[in-house]
Amino acid sequence: MKTDALTAERIGLTWLRAAIAPVGAFGRRHDETIAPYGPGDELRAHAEIADVAELAARLERDGVTRLRAALRAVPEPSAIVARARAGDPLNDADFYELGRFVDALDVFARAWDGAGGEASRRPPVLEALRDLLAPGRSGGEFYLAAEFAPGLHEARAAVERAEERYEALRDSIAARVRDAIGIDAAGDELVVLRADYDGPLPDELFVVRETPTYRAARLRVTAPDRDDALARLSTEEEAARRALAERVSQQADAIVAATGALGALDRLLARVAFAQRWDGCVPVFAGAIAVDDGVFPPLADALAARGRRYTALSLRLNGVAVLTGPNMGGKSAALAAVGFWCACAALGVPPPARSATIPLLERIEWIGGEGPADRARLLSSYAVEVVRASGVLAGASPQTLVLVDEFARTTGPREGRALLIALVETLRACGTLALVATHFDAVAEAAGVVHLRVAGLRAEALDTVRASDLDAALEAIGAAMDYRIVAADGAATASDAVALARLLGLDARIVDRAAAISDSAQTRFRG
Amino acid sequence: MIVVGTAKNTGKTTTFNALRAVARRRGAAVAVTSIGRDGEPSDALDSEPKPRVRLAPGTLVALAAGLLPRSPALAILGVGEASALGTIVFARAVLPTACEIAGPPSARAMRATIERLRAMHDGPLFVDGAIDRVAALAGGDDAVIVATGAASGATAARVAAVAADTVARLSLPGRDAARERARVVRVEGALDVRDAEDLLANARGATVVVDDPTRIAVRGALFAKLREAVDLRCERPLRIVACTTSPVGRSATLAPRELVEAVARATGLPAFDVVADLAA
Repeated sequence: MKTDALTAERIGLTWLRAAIAPVGAFGRRHDETIAPYGPGDELRAHAEIADVAELAARLERDGVTRLRAALRAVPEPSAIVARARAGDPLNDADFYELGRFVDALDVFARAWDGAGGEASRRPPVLEALRDLLAPGRSGGEFYLAAEFAPGLHEARAAVERAEERYEALRDSIAARVRDAIGIDAAGDELVVLRADYDGPLPDELFVVRETPTYRAARLRVTAPDRDDALARLSTEEEAARRALAERVSQQADAIVAATGALGALDRLLARVAFAQRWDGCVPVFAGAIAVDDGVFPPLADALAARGRRYTALSLRLNGVAVLTGPNMGGKSAALAAVGFWCACAALGVPPPARSATIPLLERIEWIGGEGPADRARLLSSYAVEVVRASGVLAGASPQTLVLVDEFARTTGPREGRALLIALVETLRACGTLALVATHFDAVAEAAGVVHLRVAGLRAEALDTVRASDLDAALEAIGAAMDYRIVAADGAATASDAVALARLLGLDARIVDRAAAISDSAQTRFRG
Repeated sequence: MIVVGTAKNTGKTTTFNALRAVARRRGAAVAVTSIGRDGEPSDALDSEPKPRVRLAPGTLVALAAGLLPRSPALAILGVGEASALGTIVFARAVLPTACEIAGPPSARAMRATIERLRAMHDGPLFVDGAIDRVAALAGGDDAVIVATGAASGATAARVAAVAADTVARLSLPGRDAARERARVVRVEGALDVRDAEDLLANARGATVVVDDPTRIAVRGALFAKLREAVDLRCERPLRIVACTTSPVGRSATLAPRELVEAVARATGLPAFDVVADLAA
């Protein structure tokens, strides 16, 4: 399923992708390998959505939250494994990360059991890798322990002995210097001010800088046995790392399989969390759309944030339909919801509805308004719509859903209506699915397609509305609006623009004058 | 405790090492990290020899994974933010180890790294710092030591003047409601030369507030004039406790005693030459 940026934004696809984004790197990588479902993928799409819905019903919501938190905490071992496989050296931070990976898998497996996940789908635990790293792991730390190589213990003991001898030698040299010139070395360095001492310096010092006022010198501490011990330790430690890295590379397939399994679970759990939040259903796949009590979550969320309620939609669309209705009646939201539900199915997500029959599509296209790319082209609003419509029609097919939001509203109404009728006729001829929202009269009848309308303002409810401010007005309009989509049965649809303008606080003189001018408004407007 | 320098090669790492040596002599295990890259054998920019950072057993360190010494091995305690040289690794020295330290790349990451080191460790924490990034630590109870030396001036008087200017900027007092003037001007971001001229022209006598002392981008006489004309304050002050001096510069060597005394006089802070064992 393809969409452009404007469509993705208008139908809430961008919002949906964020809402079902995996929490971990594996999940994101796994997600990128799975293209949205399109025509012909119905069985696979059904299987994934049914799986999501079944898990959403069975797993506890808190358990899913805990599982996702556990996934978020899993470190990413892929780069380390790739380096180990290639024979590149690993460092101790790499072994530490592999240890964290093993622990995180254990935590995730426990969370899976705790959430009531099936044993057969329980993610893998890497016991062999855990055992391999165990000698170096203690209290969450990793140290290249002596157990990793036979010579390590003795090499470290030799370094400790050599360091003790070095410190003793350094201290004795520093003491002799102090006795000779009365100055303490800070670390291995000292500065001899000529004002304090200007005589010859002891042999144990070598001068690194000489000026008229002072000499800077270092203690001459030579300890070849210490250098040898450090070199031997370095050899032993590198050998231990090489051996450990080689054994890690033998576990590479198991680690990669575990990350793959985690990635698949991450994708699945993201969808499960969404389905639990929005009560999705398993759709029937067909060429037409029939949704009962469907929700458009981006709008439902936005309304909830303002303390307002979303009204679920039911809608039938078979071929092309024109949708009319009042301003603020939810025509654009209905268009967006239709696109959103189809996008859900394409992404393997249960559409948020009581029931849904929807198609898998090749494309979803939105005509109406401007996207960022359109604005950059410096075209007028009308030109943008026409250019978009041309492009959409060029690629339209029965596997395309076209959502048209008030096409040609920015031009003269007579020619605009004519253009829209012609556009609808062409969409019908292409066999596309299309929903066309407009305020133009009798477009559906002229183009020979189904006419739907938003039920609209309940006039009797308007009588009681006396809004004191914008929020209250919006609340009142919401309460007075019947958002149901019904068959228009050939009746002209009022836009209720004058009544709404009054509720929204437009100057009463203007509203009264408009009401007087509008014949159609006179029959509905009740001052 | 954070060590910052008035210029490159002013003895920052030498001071840092001296502080660690004192802590070690007192039997305290320390934690260390760096803002910037320190402990490399020679300076990456000018190839001057640089002191190594030698970690005693038990020392905690936060450094980029790319600089993790391979031998003697360190115990790895955790991983943190990403940096250009790899993820920041929290580690503990088991045997004495010399290494380079490069810490986190941003102020936010630096703050997170320091908080994590503090959570892991009770004893003193030393940060080899940089003036432009010390803002991350403003507002806390950390002590800041300013390292200065011949690299920032050809005479003891010049070095002392630079140190005094730096200390004056970094010592900007915090806001104090009781002393605030009737007019308060909040400067967002850096207070630069244009802001300073604007304030001198239009806000004399006002309290001028910046976020932290490092936001003051004016120096020398203009800074002094601004301080006289307005009540300059910050939201998140720093605590400057001492200066150290290095008499050795690339083009000048100064008399250590004269330098340490000049810096102490000019800054009003205790000053130390940790190599020559001088204090003033």
